[in-house]
Amino acid sequence: MSPPALALAGLAKTFGGLKAVDGVSFEVPDGGLTALIGPNGAGKTTLFNLITNLIPPDIGEVKLYGSPLGALSPSAIARLGLLRTFQTARVFPGLTALENVMAGAHRLVRAHAAGQMLWLPGARREEADLAARAEALLDLLGLAAFRDMAATSLPIGAQKLIELGRALMARPRLLLLDEPAAGLNDTETAELAALLRAVRDSGVTIMVVEHNMSLVMDIADEVVVLDLGTTIAQGRPAEIQANRRVIEAYLGAEAAA
Amino acid sequence: MEQAAQIVIGGLVQGSVFAVVALGIALVYRVTGIINLAQGGFCILGALFYYSLVEPLGWPVPLAIVGSVVATTVLGVALGAGSFVPALAHLPNSSMLMLTAGLMTFIEGLVLVLWGSEPYAVPPFSGEAPLVVFGIRVPSQGPWIAGGSALIIFGVWYLLARTASGKALLACAENPTAARLMGIDVPRLTLLSFGLTALIGALGGLVSAPILSLQFDAGRFFTNAGFIAVAIGGMSSLAGAVAGGLFLGVAEQLAAGYVSALFSNALALGLLLMTLLWRPQGLFVVGGVRRHDVRTELRAYRGIVRLRGRGALVGGLAALALAVALPALVGAGGVLSSLVIALILFIAVLGLDVVMGFAGQVSLGQAGFMAVGGYTAAILAATYGLPPLVGVAAGIVLSLACAIVLALVTMRLRGAYLALATLSFGLLIDSLTLGLTETTGGPSGLVGIPSFAVASFAFDTPLRMYYLVLALIVLLVLALAGGMRSSFGRALQAIRTDQMAAAALGINVPLHKTAAFAIAAVLGSLSGSLYAFDFHFLSPEMVATPRSFEMIAMLVLGGEGTLVGGIIGAILITLLPTLFQPLAAYKTLAEGAILVLAFQYLPDGLFGRLVRLLSSLHRSVLPGRRLLGRPAR
Repeated sequence: MSPPALALAGLAKTFGGLKAVDGVSFEVPDGGLTALIGPNGAGKTTLFNLITNLIPPDIGEVKLYGSPLGALSPSAIARLGLLRTFQTARVFPGLTALENVMAGAHRLVRAHAAGQMLWLPGARREEADLAARAEALLDLLGLAAFRDMAATSLPIGAQKLIELGRALMARPRLLLLDEPAAGLNDTETAELAALLRAVRDSGVTIMVVEHNMSLVMDIADEVVVLDLGTTIAQGRPAEIQANRRVIEAYLGAEAAA
Repeated sequence: MEQAAQIVIGGLVQGSVFAVVALGIALVYRVTGIINLAQGGFCILGALFYYSLVEPLGWPVPLAIVGSVVATTVLGVALGAGSFVPALAHLPNSSMLMLTAGLMTFIEGLVLVLWGSEPYAVPPFSGEAPLVVFGIRVPSQGPWIAGGSALIIFGVWYLLARTASGKALLACAENPTAARLMGIDVPRLTLLSFGLTALIGALGGLVSAPILSLQFDAGRFFTNAGFIAVAIGGMSSLAGAVAGGLFLGVAEQLAAGYVSALFSNALALGLLLMTLLWRPQGLFVVGGVRRHDVRTELRAYRGIVRLRGRGALVGGLAALALAVALPALVGAGGVLSSLVIALILFIAVLGLDVVMGFAGQVSLGQAGFMAVGGYTAAILAATYGLPPLVGVAAGIVLSLACAIVLALVTMRLRGAYLALATLSFGLLIDSLTLGLTETTGGPSGLVGIPSFAVASFAFDTPLRMYYLVLALIVLLVLALAGGMRSSFGRALQAIRTDQMAAAALGINVPLHKTAAFAIAAVLGSLSGSLYAFDFHFLSPEMVATPRSFEMIAMLVLGGEGTLVGGIIGAILITLLPTLFQPLAAYKTLAEGAILVLAFQYLPDGLFGRLVRLLSSLHRSVLPGRRLLGRPAR
């Protein structure tokens, strides 16, 4: 049996006196779409930051496909195929929509800077291939019309999709998405759901932080619930919906009674 | 023992001046998060106003003090209201730093216009005879300097700690948005703090005027000492700034007294680099956590101006045809020689564009690489008779080594800290070119540099140099265009605005920053070597720190992140004073004004304007077709 895509063991982080993440352990099965949910302040985004080592954890271990990430830098982790998006769209200003998506391919690019400066045929061909693939992705995301526009001039929903496209451009093995549906309307959310399913079916493991419960219940194979920095439940969407502790965490103890 | 006491007292006197300048810099930094490089300009303005009132006009000392402080403060408030405060609302911190460099250049230019370049001296406030206390001789101005500085420091402390305006000022510093919500007029208070630092600077300048030679560029001395003191003491702490100033003064005097004056300069820069590396929060700030910049960095929302496809090809060929035909149009006179200089400087500006325009790292030390390349090539060719090409190559290797060391050393630094580190690199090279008189010829320069030559073909006329440099530029622009329009360039541009998101895509941020610095160093070095071969002469001020600022002005005027834009800036700034000789006296003033205005009103430079204009013309002729990616706004 193949190792889980991601295995967290006892991950913890304290900010000042606040235990933002307090001993979190769970596994993300390979090839599935796992949703990470929890009330505001539960530590979801912090957990993403710990996994990608943007913030080093105080203690605990992260394993990607069985191999520990240790103290690898965020960029080294990304080069292993673990890609993430951010809660607020972080497209690069000064680059067009197309160039933003192309920037995602960084970990796959083989031509060296020197080759690119000398306009070597190999480097030029690779560049053309990247542009074609990025255009196809923009097309898939419904953004083809914005191709040459400055990415930061687009509405927030489109910027979030560009960020998703940028991550997909990297051909991730594991994709961490931080609230991809925030800022999208109902139609766009439905399209996003279809897209995420298609991405999962193409073999990419996905973990998504999301507040839109109907989206989560619709697309997730597995749901992990975080509250006050600890996991309080893990299971299939239907199991989670019936879980007493989850309802308590979201609605308070009386509502569950 | 007596000697030591005398040195320490001298150091404390000098240190109290540094402390006052540092206090001014720290005050503006506390309130705005910007390091004001123009602070020393207020000092020299205060000192020179005081000179004019006391000497030619014969005012009594107290009246002259009041008059010069008022004049400087009024000027400071005007500069603040016209540029610093409005720019704060829409410029990123790195551009603000450049803007203050522009203000500094503007003030120097103003001094040149009003007082010329000759040095002035003013008498001490209370006679020439030194005081003797317990057998230790103290210069008569010493107590005035120390007392005046103590008064200023006390005044600032009282204002901040004991008055409502002071508390409002600190509230702005802690959280501008919250302060605004509380009904505090943040821009007005920012202007108040800027005016206050002008006042502090003027006072500090005029009390120390009698022990200085007052010259247009003495302001730099104040700024350098002040910012080193601030960085050593702790950027965000006013008490730390004062302590840093006193410490620096004593350390410099001890080094000068027991080793040599040259060493004291290097010691100050060494102290600065060490502090930036090991204790970026400052030596005298308790607690290990560095305070975050008070204002979060505004994203650089810049429109995208770039000619694409056929537009670039047609535009490029047209520009090249013009460049090839230009010598025939202007003749072989002074204009052609100036064009050669502009093109040579443009090579260094290209490198600066890679670091600043693409990778978004502020570099205030580009002239340092010109100096390394220029002196290496010149010394090897003139002193050792080696072929120019060998000299150029050696200069490039040495510059690369400097750049890599600098990049490794400054790896963890960002924003203002990185800017200061690059500035101190430039200043260190300045003091080396001045101080190593046996190899560099010192202030009087290095003579007898041959023309550039490949094998037996010498580029010994302006025309030959022109075509040589033009050909090099074509190759370099093509190479950089290839590099910047590919994954390497995209990675640099990703780093410019969002290092975290860049790292999350697998971009090795330190490696790319180092590469950008290395490219800048190679081009700076090449430019410096060509400059030396073109002039047949090289002196420290040709490749000193003001040149770094001049090249930034060229880049910003032409257009950052456009590669070719810089050539417009280089030609305008180099050629205008040549074409209009009467204007030469206003060159520095104009450069400062250009830098300040371009940052505020030309976000993508003249090149950006030109491209937008061409694009709209093109569209009006051929509807529906565009040369240009749609601009951001």
